[in-house]
Amino acid sequence: MEKKEFLKIIQTCRRRMNIAQFLEKSATALSISAGVGILFQAVALLVPLYYVNIYSGLALILGEVSVFIVMVIKRTTMEQAAFKMDRFGFEERIATAYENLDKEGTLVGLQREDAMKALQAHRDRIRISIWPSWKKAILCFSLLILLVGLSLIPSVAKDRAKELYSLKGEVKEKEEEIEEMLEALEQLQQEELTEKQQEALNDMAQSLEASLSEYQQAVSQEMLEAASQKLNYKYQDMSGQLSEIMQEIQDGANLSLATADALKAMEDRMKHSQGNGVNKEQGSSGEENGKDGSGRQGQDGDGNSDNGNGQEGQNGDGNSGNGNGQGSQGGNGQHGNGDAGNAPGNGAGNGSVNSPHDYVSVPNEIADSENLTGNAANHDTSEYFRAQNGLSWEGTHTSYDAVIGSYEQNAYEGIAAGRYPSGMEEIIKEYFASFN
Amino acid sequence: METLDRSRLQDPVYMAQQIAACEKEIQKGIIGQGGIIRQVMLAMLTGGNVLLEGMPGLGKTRLVSTIGRVFDLSFKRIQFTPDLMPSDVTGTNIIIKNEQGSSFSFERGPIFSNLILADEINRATPKTQSALLEAMQEHTVTVGNDSHALKEPFFVLATQNPIENEGTYPLPEAQLDRFMFKILVRFPSKEELKGIVALTEGSEAPVIEKQMDGEGLLAARTLVNQIPIADAVMNYLLEIVMETHAPNPYIREGASPRAAQSLIRAARAKAFLEGRFNVSFQDVKEAAYPVLRHRIIAGFDAISKGITEDEIIKNILDAKSALFEKI
Repeated sequence: MEKKEFLKIIQTCRRRMNIAQFLEKSATALSISAGVGILFQAVALLVPLYYVNIYSGLALILGEVSVFIVMVIKRTTMEQAAFKMDRFGFEERIATAYENLDKEGTLVGLQREDAMKALQAHRDRIRISIWPSWKKAILCFSLLILLVGLSLIPSVAKDRAKELYSLKGEVKEKEEEIEEMLEALEQLQQEELTEKQQEALNDMAQSLEASLSEYQQAVSQEMLEAASQKLNYKYQDMSGQLSEIMQEIQDGANLSLATADALKAMEDRMKHSQGNGVNKEQGSSGEENGKDGSGRQGQDGDGNSDNGNGQEGQNGDGNSGNGNGQGSQGGNGQHGNGDAGNAPGNGAGNGSVNSPHDYVSVPNEIADSENLTGNAANHDTSEYFRAQNGLSWEGTHTSYDAVIGSYEQNAYEGIAAGRYPSGMEEIIKEYFASFN
Repeated sequence: METLDRSRLQDPVYMAQQIAACEKEIQKGIIGQGGIIRQVMLAMLTGGNVLLEGMPGLGKTRLVSTIGRVFDLSFKRIQFTPDLMPSDVTGTNIIIKNEQGSSFSFERGPIFSNLILADEINRATPKTQSALLEAMQEHTVTVGNDSHALKEPFFVLATQNPIENEGTYPLPEAQLDRFMFKILVRFPSKEELKGIVALTEGSEAPVIEKQMDGEGLLAARTLVNQIPIADAVMNYLLEIVMETHAPNPYIREGASPRAAQSLIRAARAKAFLEGRFNVSFQDVKEAAYPVLRHRIIAGFDAISKGITEDEIIKNILDAKSALFEKI
């Protein structure tokens, strides 16, 4: 046997050992990774984790990458392969011969010759299996199947995770939009504007920052919608103010062209954003609310009140019949509700307003009830519970921000509609601004 | 009858065959002690000395005399007793009167032989023991101001009785270390005993023929020292010796560096005897027991639990083998 052939045999063994090690380690790594993935999936059944499938996949990929790195670092050497071959009854002949392959000497030469002779005669003894142990393979396979199975099981937490994810996306989109607006406002050459105009722009900036904060605090679809409605109204108001400023510019012509262009661009952008927001909301939440309104008619009639809409429907039904519930099909029954307690006739009219709210309106006569807790100073969410005619019902809890947002929106709408005495607008604005 | 071809003393294959033939020839004269013969042969091939521990009458003297005959080496037996003096072993200067007058002449003691059987070495005083042990280590004897080189090959086979302790001077650990092997001689089986009786009490004594001589044995030793050892095997061997120094409740003192040297030589010799020119893990494992058992000092825990040195060595070998199996 030639040296070359001797080396080739060792090399073949080495390759097989490397494959065997890779498969063995892969099975181990996949089992561990699958275990980790299963843990993620189990957690995701209880806790909203949108990226759970990606995490599980990453765990598997990470396991395999680790195996690959380990294999590169700790790959079988020729010496190890030679020793492995010696396990098949060669009594360390091959390893010794390999180590002394280039050495000269009587005994070294004889040893090499002896090793090659033995290898040639008993080469068939060498059997290096590349497959991992069946126990490990079965374990790995079972864990992978379990992982896939768990990933397919639906759960409330998974649905919630999806909802939160889409919410985050929308919030992010809105945040970017507001930040762009704020940037544009900052870039305006304010020294060219009158004091009043500057003040108006500062108010706009503050108002936008407040909206930004609202978006950042939004943890539910309701909060997001409330913030969006408020922002839309603000856009509408701001674009009106910007138009006024533009008009003043045209009248006075005391501005640089750049500032005028910037103002115009901002106004367009706000109108555009407002249009988008309205369309989007009408397209999504409007449809949802419509469904809610109609879907809950029966519930409302039965006196069930699982959520704000239902309760409002109930109130409406109790006082003014189906007008409210029907009205809420277009938007929701919240307003109808709020008004229905006091003025049944308003149900239908208010129900058509695209302003879904799910808080419970507290009648004036019990507003100071000791069952009502919380205060505006520490921004706590109030709880309200009331026993009426032997039936117990409980209002849906609505966060402080949503309630304040709703009231603020109504106030701004009132200002826009000219419902308040002149000169009170600023006081109202300052009042609501003090909450942000 | 001269059987050794002197022109082939450097031929490893031929020499391995000759050594194997010697072993076979020795087995003709000794029944049922194959393992002991093998270990004594290993010690001879590496120039080490052997301490045999066993009951009297197990054929120790016969073994040494047979070896002497097969290898054509001079043989002396020294019975150690408490009153044995160092000069009784090494020799002494005596006054010689002749025509020119009186002069001192060195009278050589029994140690000036190739093979020495130091029977019941632990019965002699430490002073006498030291005289022998110095000769074993240095292969020279110093009397007065003169040093006298011993004949090569020089090989000591000492025996000690494990049962009788009264009136004995157990060898200190440092001196035990000078013996390459400590071999435990077990009592023969019934079949072996039958063979021994037939051999010794029969009318025809077996004819033991010379197979080699001292020169051939020294040439074989040179070849044995050249046998290559793979790195992993060497590591395994060193790990075993190092492990005797690792914290272990059963070991009070571990083996000396001399143990590693002896282990390497013994493993090489074993491979050579088997006609192989490389050392295997198995060679190391088999050589570990006789090399280490007198170099490990058992701790209190081992003594109180009746755990022998061989069991401690087995545990070490098993632990280390498991690690090396993973290669």
